[in-house]
Amino acid sequence: MISLSTTLRARRGMMREWRLHALSIFSLAVAFVCFGASLLVVTNLRALEDRWAHAGRASVYLKDNAAADDIESVKQALLRVNGVKQVRYVSGQQARLDFGASQQERATALASLPAEAFPSTLEVEVVPEMTDAELVDMAAKLQKLPSVEDVETYQAWTERLSRLIRGGVAASALLALVVLGAVLAVVGSTIRLALQRRRTEVEVLKLVGATDRFVKGPYILEGSVQGAMGALGATGLLAILFMIVRGRLDGEFVNLLGLQPQFLPWYLVTALVCSGAVLGALAAMGSLRKLVLV
Amino acid sequence: MSRSEGPFAFRPALRAGARFSREAKDRPILTFESVYKSYRSGSPVLRGVHLTIERGEFVFVTGPSGAGKSTMLRLLYRSETVDDGRILFLGKDVARLRDDAVPFLRRNIGVVFQDFKLVPAWSVYENVAVALEVLSLPTRLVRTRVGEALERVGLSGRGNDLAGVLSGGEQQRVAIARAIVGEPALILADEPTGNLDPQLAIDILGLFEEINEGGTTVVFATHDRTLLEVRPRRVVVLDEGKALDVPQGIAIDSDDHYRLPN
Repeated sequence: MISLSTTLRARRGMMREWRLHALSIFSLAVAFVCFGASLLVVTNLRALEDRWAHAGRASVYLKDNAAADDIESVKQALLRVNGVKQVRYVSGQQARLDFGASQQERATALASLPAEAFPSTLEVEVVPEMTDAELVDMAAKLQKLPSVEDVETYQAWTERLSRLIRGGVAASALLALVVLGAVLAVVGSTIRLALQRRRTEVEVLKLVGATDRFVKGPYILEGSVQGAMGALGATGLLAILFMIVRGRLDGEFVNLLGLQPQFLPWYLVTALVCSGAVLGALAAMGSLRKLVLV
Repeated sequence: MSRSEGPFAFRPALRAGARFSREAKDRPILTFESVYKSYRSGSPVLRGVHLTIERGEFVFVTGPSGAGKSTMLRLLYRSETVDDGRILFLGKDVARLRDDAVPFLRRNIGVVFQDFKLVPAWSVYENVAVALEVLSLPTRLVRTRVGEALERVGLSGRGNDLAGVLSGGEQQRVAIARAIVGEPALILADEPTGNLDPQLAIDILGLFEEINEGGTTVVFATHDRTLLEVRPRRVVVLDEGKALDVPQGIAIDSDDHYRLPN
């Protein structure tokens, strides 16, 4: 437990050596900005994964000779399936027109494509809660119907995206580890430097009968405060940078990724500050391990 | 004003759960039994030192430079450990104390150094109060006792001054106040007048004598011949690793040789 005396002595030490501590907090903030940025990337990659891991739709390709009644009965049957939000019929001609609208410069080449290149489809939109297994099961049942040629659930594509995102998460985690090392090194060096500058103080304390715990307490608290303040400063800095970037590129993000970038959630910010405090305390303990006795 | 009522008013600072033996009151405060210490093999600093100091005594420890005066004191407050022999403080063997018991030994010993060992960035008050802060005493009590200690050393009202800006004599007074504020059983002074001019040295010696009159045992290491001459007290002469006890004090020849009384 932290005593009042430990707190007062830590405060006194930090105020007397405020330049050293300010420099250390700044260095830590820089390290934590990298750590926070990697967390921010991970957070947004996760959101991207959540958004795209389930395609949320399927395309039911209909046979060329499928009768309108059959198509309508499949559509009605699909609408009754639990989890299906919307079913839209797209004729081959409509598909050609939609594709042509997005590829106007290749209009001549598109006109020469055969009719089979644009089969009629039923575009099925499902709720996000619908699992991959349920979608595959539905696709298998649809495939058995005589008017259905094929069913595309886009699973291969979402799996590829998931693998890509997992790679990104792993790379960010690795970066986070490097940053953790940097944090430990910065706090450790600062505490060692502070200890060196306050060597007489430690010597006096030991001479008047201070226990190791009494001597080390304020340094550990200082390390902890430095770590927490560094993390807090970094979060603030990151928030400002995030606002600036989002303000300028928000539209592009939505168009490109289909979602708005999000800042670190409050619990992650709290965890970052707490981990800063714990890391700072641990680094200080590490540097004080070999405290010279007088 | 002295808070101690005499040698038997002593109440040592003990570890939680530890008890002070009543029998320890009747034992000598300090006993060296065949103490050996060397920093390099083949050249011992102390070779079989025997010495007994009773409670309430004032003892000079003297000898040429390198004779082992400081080593003797460092062994006492366990900054060094003996190679062989025993040092009994209140009947407890200092050399055999566990490391976690050393702070409790030091709370019963006040140490004053030639270089004062003050924290220059701290105020006079803070430098003295630190000896009581380690005991976790209430702030009000710390304030009262620091005030009394500063009054005893003649620095009343100087509590807010920074230690670093004081004169040498004043800094030594602060160091003495720090040594006595915890009311220790024993004060060790390692060349406390080494950095002071002769008149100031005598003043500081007088301060130690006043502390001794209050019942505190004082071991005063010095090679300052004038101090030994002006105060004929018990002297322990360290030379070539041995201790020679001279209860009546010594005189020194003009060529710096110690002369024992007839």
